[in-house]
Amino acid sequence: MSAAGTRPREGLRLGIILRLSLRNVLRYARRSTLTASAMVLGLALLIMSRTLADGAHESWIDQGVQLGTGHVALQALGYQQNRSLDNRLDEGALATVLAALDDPEVEPSVVMAAPRIAVSGLASSAGSAIPILILGVDPDVEPAFSLLDDKLVEGRYLESGDRLSAYVGIGLVERLGIHLGSRFVLTAQDADGEIQGQLVRVAGIFRTGVPDLDEGIIHLALATTQRWLNAPGAVTTVAVLLQSSRTTPPVIRTLERTLPADQVEVLSWREASPELDAAVKIDDLGDWVFHIITLAIIALAILNAILMAVLNRKREFGVLQALGLTGRETGVVVLLEGVMLSLLSGGLGVLLGLGVTWALWRDGLDMSFLMDEELTFSGTLFDPVMVPEFRLATIFLSLALIITIGVLASLYPARQATRIDVAEAMKFDR
Amino acid sequence: MSEPRLQPTTDHQVQTGGHAVRTIDLWKTYPQEPEPVHAVRGVSLEIARGEFLAMAGPSGSGKTTLLNMLGGLTRPTRGEIWIADRELAQLSDKALARLRLESIGFVFQAYNLLPVLTALENAEFSLLLRGVPKEERRRKVEELFVKIGMDGMENRRPGRLSGGQQQRVAVARAVVGEPALVLADEPTANLDSHASDDLLEVMEGLNRDLGITFVFATHDPRVMERAHRLIRLVDGAIVSDERR
Repeated sequence: MSAAGTRPREGLRLGIILRLSLRNVLRYARRSTLTASAMVLGLALLIMSRTLADGAHESWIDQGVQLGTGHVALQALGYQQNRSLDNRLDEGALATVLAALDDPEVEPSVVMAAPRIAVSGLASSAGSAIPILILGVDPDVEPAFSLLDDKLVEGRYLESGDRLSAYVGIGLVERLGIHLGSRFVLTAQDADGEIQGQLVRVAGIFRTGVPDLDEGIIHLALATTQRWLNAPGAVTTVAVLLQSSRTTPPVIRTLERTLPADQVEVLSWREASPELDAAVKIDDLGDWVFHIITLAIIALAILNAILMAVLNRKREFGVLQALGLTGRETGVVVLLEGVMLSLLSGGLGVLLGLGVTWALWRDGLDMSFLMDEELTFSGTLFDPVMVPEFRLATIFLSLALIITIGVLASLYPARQATRIDVAEAMKFDR
Repeated sequence: MSEPRLQPTTDHQVQTGGHAVRTIDLWKTYPQEPEPVHAVRGVSLEIARGEFLAMAGPSGSGKTTLLNMLGGLTRPTRGEIWIADRELAQLSDKALARLRLESIGFVFQAYNLLPVLTALENAEFSLLLRGVPKEERRRKVEELFVKIGMDGMENRRPGRLSGGQQQRVAVARAVVGEPALVLADEPTANLDSHASDDLLEVMEGLNRDLGITFVFATHDPRVMERAHRLIRLVDGAIVSDERR
């Protein structure tokens, strides 16, 4: 077969171009290393930052749901709009709810469920009267669910068999002018719409650092509350704690399917705690603004490195075109170099990001040195120890972003390579 | 050592009526203030297949521009260039690239080997682009390397070759595909006299043995002495055309 008569196949030429690009990446090791460094460090930074942010957000959510109504709140229809005992789950509805939580699709995700009665009322002492939220809780279940028992500063948490014991916040104690062992009166509307009073005694005092909780919430035994408010066996809420906030959507979908919609309302923590949801979203948005700025800087660094390389290699690209490559194919050489560097950097960046995060902060990054006192927001506490959370989706998203940026940053230099004036490029005095 | 198997072809001789290249009233004008610059002025030229031709002239006489136009690297402002029965102005960029690949070989002053490839890979590059099977590529290049005195250096990268050796590889790259035409722009300018003589010897041998057409743009008296035809250019126009 004569060489002059042979016709190149497109696939074959692409193979040659691919091989040429790979050799260029390896041959210009210093340039490749410098370009790749920007991507590797950028991706590692992105992964470190995202895993810590995801971990912090998960921590906020954990704290928020454990101080509030769990990842999922199951309530009587209408209770979210009108928090009165008119909208309660009676004994039968409660049994239906608890049975739904044993569904095989739901049960593995559920850590525990806490039935509660929550009513608005008034706490009165000889010196003052303050509006509060009265929570009737099961003393056997609640300590494992809520964080409040961990915040004990004096006395003890509720125990099984307690009748008139109350667990109150330090802010309320101070405002009512009472102390451990003091008696005070709770007033609230019962299930029949009548105002009822109940004398209780301070058994324990907690301090969360969250003013809304310390001044505005009381835990009573569920049985006492049901009896006092003429709602035997009834609850207003079943708070459900899940393994992770990420399992909330599928659990909600299943519960909405299995529970009667005309009796029970299924709320996620996002709906039950909109302030917490907003706080997580706003913080996430801020993080992404920072990430985008960082990625833009990385993109410019890559663009600059590759463009400079193209300008310095005009003669080389001129030779390729003189030998028979088209301008477009010359551009593909540059683009493929960018793609290869991006893929290589992506792999290394993931390893570096995960490695550094795991090595340095797997037990948590303690930021407490930046804080003089406890930080609170949206009804929850800010944990100064940020424990990274490694999510596959986040890692893939970060990887995809950096590779996309690498490829996009190669497009302009590749276009420049297609436009080289071959005769100019071959001039010896250049 | 086996006999070289590269043989002159006659395909394009049929297509071009015996001419490797033909130009008709070729002009290249660069727009410039206050007046446009005419780098090439009305050059009409016929180069027969198998010629060993040098174009000489002072700097700025237009010889490199003319060479670039013959190679399809620069498009003329006016006039026609015929190579392998095709008029270059009618060809798209892609077709022009194909023509360069199949019908034209280049030798540059600065060698311009691809630094990431070995001597053998550089020499076989145009065959690679043309889809020639590996065994055939290797056989052709190895035969050629024996002919130009580069055997044993196939696996060296350009950085490990002398200037003369690099230019020999460049010549091998230009002729391995048996092109209709090899264009050499000051191929000896960076070489010492000994290396220049050796290189010219190699090219003369290829011209003589394989019938490959060489067109040089040169200042080098050695090239002019060896050329079978010497065209002198001044201010972009042919002022003499001497056959020997």
